[in-house]
Amino acid sequence: MEARKILIVDDDVDLCDSLKAILEGAGYNATTATSRAEGMAKMKADQPDLLILDVMMETWHDGFEMSRELKRDQQLRQTPILMLTSVEERTGVPVKSSAGDPDWLPVDGFLDKPVEPDVLLVEIEKLLEGAQA
Amino acid sequence: MTSAVPDDSLVQRAHWLIRLRWLAALSVAASTFVCARILGIALQERALYGIAVLLLGYNAVLFVLLRHLAATPGERSVKRTINLQISADLIVLTVLLHFSGGVENPLAFFFIFHMIIASILLSVWESYLQATLAVLLFGLLAALEYSQQIAHHCLTGFVRHCQYQEGSYVLGTFFAFAVSLYLVVYMASYIAVRLRRAERAQAQANDLLRAQDRIKDEYVARLTHDIKGHLAAIQTCLAVAIGGPISGQVADFVDRAYRRTQKLTAFVRILLRLTKLKLGSSLEMTVFSLGDAAGSAIETVRKRAEDKGIHLSGTLASSTPMVRADRDAIEETIANLLLNAIKYTPARGAISIEARAEGDSALLEICDTGIGVPAAELPRIFDEFYRASNARQVERDGTGLGLSLARQLIEQHDGSISVFSTEGSGTTFRIVLPRAVARRATESVVATDRHRVSVK
Repeated sequence: MEARKILIVDDDVDLCDSLKAILEGAGYNATTATSRAEGMAKMKADQPDLLILDVMMETWHDGFEMSRELKRDQQLRQTPILMLTSVEERTGVPVKSSAGDPDWLPVDGFLDKPVEPDVLLVEIEKLLEGAQA
Repeated sequence: MTSAVPDDSLVQRAHWLIRLRWLAALSVAASTFVCARILGIALQERALYGIAVLLLGYNAVLFVLLRHLAATPGERSVKRTINLQISADLIVLTVLLHFSGGVENPLAFFFIFHMIIASILLSVWESYLQATLAVLLFGLLAALEYSQQIAHHCLTGFVRHCQYQEGSYVLGTFFAFAVSLYLVVYMASYIAVRLRRAERAQAQANDLLRAQDRIKDEYVARLTHDIKGHLAAIQTCLAVAIGGPISGQVADFVDRAYRRTQKLTAFVRILLRLTKLKLGSSLEMTVFSLGDAAGSAIETVRKRAEDKGIHLSGTLASSTPMVRADRDAIEETIANLLLNAIKYTPARGAISIEARAEGDSALLEICDTGIGVPAAELPRIFDEFYRASNARQVERDGTGLGLSLARQLIEQHDGSISVFSTEGSGTTFRIVLPRAVARRATESVVATDRHRVSVK
C-alpha cells in the first residue's frame, strides 16, 4: 500500500521538520509548508490524506481561517484536519471543545503543543480511519 | 467626591444617623418622664412627648426614603437627605429647648453632637452652614424669649430663678455657644477631611496594585506562551533524535534532555493555565454529577495507585449531587489532587474519595494516609510556588503550582477548597461547590449545549 500523505503547516520551521521526521519514521509521506498561502497551494497540488495545522501563523487566527477555507472547498473538504496549537492559552478561547463546530472551528482533531510522538501518531491513525469509513 | 453612585459607606452612615435618632426620640420621652415625674422639675410634658413622637415619625419617613434612595443610587440625593436631616434635627432641638427652659437648659450643648455628626458626614462648608443655622436658631430663641415675643418656660425645680431676661447671662451663653459650635466643626472636620483623604489614597493604591498585578499576569502569560513555542520545537526535535540511530552515552544524554524538556513543558503549561485563569479565561459550564466526575478522575489515576500498592476507594453513590461547572476542569482538579495524594502516601497506604450533598452545596473529600502537612505550613500550601518542607523531601522539583491552580479553578466556580491534615498520619482535601438547581430533565439539554461563561 502506498504511504499516506500528510501535510504539516506551521510557521515554526524546526517544528515542521521534526514533525516531518517523526511522521516519516512512522511510515508516512510527509511534506511541510510554513505559511497559509504555501499550505493552500500544497493542499491543492498534493491532495494529502491529512492536514496538521497550526492555529497561529502570521496572525493568531490564520489557522482558523485556513480550516474554514478548506471546508468550503468541494475537493478538499473531506481531508481531516488535526489542529496543533496552544492558542487557548493565548486567547482564552476554549478551542478544544469547539473543534468540529462547522462554523467556528471546522477541524477534526485537536492537540496541544508540544505533543508526545505516540499521542500524535494515535490521533493521526484515528483520523485517517475515520476519513476512510 | 463627584461620583454618581453613593459609596456604601455614605448610605451606611445615613442609616447610622437614623439609628441614633430612634435613640434620641426615646431618650427625650424617657428623660421628660424622669425629670417631670421623679425629679419634679416643671416641664411642658405634653409638648415634649409631642416632640418625641415627631422625631419618631419623621425618622420613619427618612428610613423609608433612604431605602428608596439606596435602590436608585445618587450620591447627591443621599447627601441632600443627610443635610436635611441635620437641619431638621437642629430645628427640633431648638423647639425642645424652648419647651424646657430655653437658654437656661444646659442641654443646649447637645448641638455639639450635631456638629460632630455633620463634620463626619458632610463637606466642610456644609458643616459650617449647619453650625451657622444652629447659632441662628439658638440666637433667635434667646432673643424671642428675652423680648417676650414667645413664652419662656422656666425650669422651676432645676434653677432657682429665671435668667432669660438677664442680658449679660443671655449674651454670655450665646457667645460661648457660638464659639463652641464653630470650634467643634473646625476640629472635627479637620480630622474627617484627613481621614477621608487617607481613605481615598488607600483605595487608589489598591486599584493601582490590582492594575499592576494584571500587567504582571499578562506579562507572564505572554512570556510563558513564547517559551512554550520554543519548548515545543525543542521537545519534538529531541523526540526525533531519540527515535534515531544513537546509542550509548549520547542516547542517555538526549534522553535526559528530553525528560527535562517534558518537565519544563509541564511547568510552563500549569503556569500558563493559572495565569490565564487569573486573567479571566472562559469556563465551559455544563450540569453533571460530581460523583461521575470523581469516578472518571479515579480511573485516570488508578494505575498509578496500583503500581504503588495504594488502596483507592470511592463512595460515589449515583445520587451524588449535580453541579454546574466546567467538567474537564473539575475532573482535572480531582485527578491532580488524587495524584498528589498518591505521591505523598507511602506504599500500601489508602486513599478514599467521597462525594455527597450537604444543603445547597456539593461536597467532595479526598482523604489519604500520607505524610501530611506540618501544621505551621498548612495555611500556605495553596500559595503559588509554595511547597511544604516534607513534600520537598519526597519530590525535589515539583512546580508548587498544582494546589494554586486547584484553588483558582474551584474559586472561579464560586466554590471553595480547604485542607485538614495531621503531619505523619494523613491529609484531607475538601472541595465545596454550589449545587446545580435540580431540573434534570431540562438541564440535560443545556448540558449538551455549549454554554460559555466568562469568568472575571
